[in-house]
Amino acid sequence: MIKQYPGRTQPAVDDLSFTVEPGEICVLIGPSGCGKTTALKMVNRLISISGGDITIDGRSIRSLGLTDLRRGIGYVFQQIGLFPHMSIEANIGTVPRLMGWSKGRIRERAGELLELVGLDPEGDLKRYPGEFSGGQQQRIGVARAMAADPPIMLMDEPFGAIDPIARDRLQNDFLRLHKQVRKTIIFVTHDIDEAIKMGDKIAIMRAGKLVQLATADDLLANPADDFVASFVGEDRGLKRLRVRTLRDIELDPPVDGGAGASAYMDTSLHLALSRMLAEGTTRLDVMDEKSNEDAVVGSVRLDAITELIAPQQPTSPQDR
Amino acid sequence: MTPLPLVLAAGGGPVIPSFGKASNCVVQNGQFCSGWFFANWHAVFQPRLIEHIELTAIAVGVGMVIAFSAAILAYKQHWFETPFSLLAAFLYTIPSIALFEILVQITGINRFTAEVALVGYTLLILFRNTLTGLRGIPPSALEAAQAMGLTQTQSLFRVEIPLAMPAIMAGVRIATVTIISLATVAAYIGAGGLGEPIFDAIQTGFKTEFLATGVIIVALAIVADVLLVLLQRLLTPWAYRRRSA
Repeated sequence: MIKQYPGRTQPAVDDLSFTVEPGEICVLIGPSGCGKTTALKMVNRLISISGGDITIDGRSIRSLGLTDLRRGIGYVFQQIGLFPHMSIEANIGTVPRLMGWSKGRIRERAGELLELVGLDPEGDLKRYPGEFSGGQQQRIGVARAMAADPPIMLMDEPFGAIDPIARDRLQNDFLRLHKQVRKTIIFVTHDIDEAIKMGDKIAIMRAGKLVQLATADDLLANPADDFVASFVGEDRGLKRLRVRTLRDIELDPPVDGGAGASAYMDTSLHLALSRMLAEGTTRLDVMDEKSNEDAVVGSVRLDAITELIAPQQPTSPQDR
Repeated sequence: MTPLPLVLAAGGGPVIPSFGKASNCVVQNGQFCSGWFFANWHAVFQPRLIEHIELTAIAVGVGMVIAFSAAILAYKQHWFETPFSLLAAFLYTIPSIALFEILVQITGINRFTAEVALVGYTLLILFRNTLTGLRGIPPSALEAAQAMGLTQTQSLFRVEIPLAMPAIMAGVRIATVTIISLATVAAYIGAGGLGEPIFDAIQTGFKTEFLATGVIIVALAIVADVLLVLLQRLLTPWAYRRRSA
């Protein structure tokens, strides 16, 4: 599936062009007013395109009927927009009902989705949105967007109004969910940490233009210019530790008597480093969670981590 | 209340000529003669009460159809709001007796004339409330409806009107109580209703009839309001369901 966003004459979104592969989460990020939300809303034509084109599976979105296009794209946004007068079942069933599904099928689907987003498929279907917390409402919002199983989802700062603890949980749950259902997602945020966490790739925008499109790791390692470098933050070295796990490091053989602290293979380097610092060691036993006995499969040195994070080319011209 | 000039003539010209044998209470025009009230419920009050309910229901019903259509139009076409508001406000401010007088010249002394006037009084309240309700819908719900591919008509009937329902019902409640009170004046042009016994009591000075009718009107207004609240709960159950803290 390809989407392209070439230009608008207005600078709101200026000659923006990129492709999102099927099943990928592409995060659009940038400062306020950079055009990221505008770009997102152009995909389901909440905002009309003034130039260029957007294609889905090679077909221009202009060739599709407006309602058909929108029913095939899940939309989740910060204000959630659940219909307060409809039960959760009716909310989730909105698009399926428009598409002529039977009542029984809608109910079944709604229950299935509630379970998928971590709510109670029995008790919650007949309740109204006003009876739920903000975080729960957004879970329902996600379920509603996925009701008719659209291949594409647009998410406009979906977790922006949720308190940090609930947001973290929502992000994790959503990533887990995404592993199961693999939607093609464009995700808008202004929070670089969220972008790093959620994005298979990240598009940094500024004044309507695309500044850099890269994976989180690549973005943190090689910011294209000073703007990107300052946007991702001075601590981008540390942030990179979050997107890498111990699997990315070639392990040393286990040390005799143990290293004094341990971690699993899928532990982020961030956590591994933190554990070393906390235990005052420079080495960590690494265990594979897949093996039965929690056997130590190797060890990792502190400098192996720092070497991985240090720029591959120490004299990179972009990197001062 | 001013003391009524009663002539309790011994030999003739009784105060209440048309209601058969008078009890002591009636002859002395006591504050409230319950015996007379119950004896005359079927003959005097019940038919008038039914007429009164009909007058009110038709006025609010027809008023709702007109005001609702006008409010939808004004919601979609902004220019329509001001002219209709002005018309409705103009009708609302004309004193009722004067409006009846004017209309009688055109449509005659009958029930139709009364209904025309009463409908006129409902318009401002119903129009304003409906429009306010429609305009007060959370923008996020509208955006969601649009993004999910609802057509404008689907959005209007499935999302916007249901969400405006609490405000619409609030308007219906105010209009109903207002019309129950105003409809008494309709008796002035022969439209019947509970205004008849009131006018009668004013002319004859018969306190029981006056008081009884007044109480019935107030009771009717309260009952109607309670019924409408129940209807509102039925129509908008979601508005009463909130997350318990």
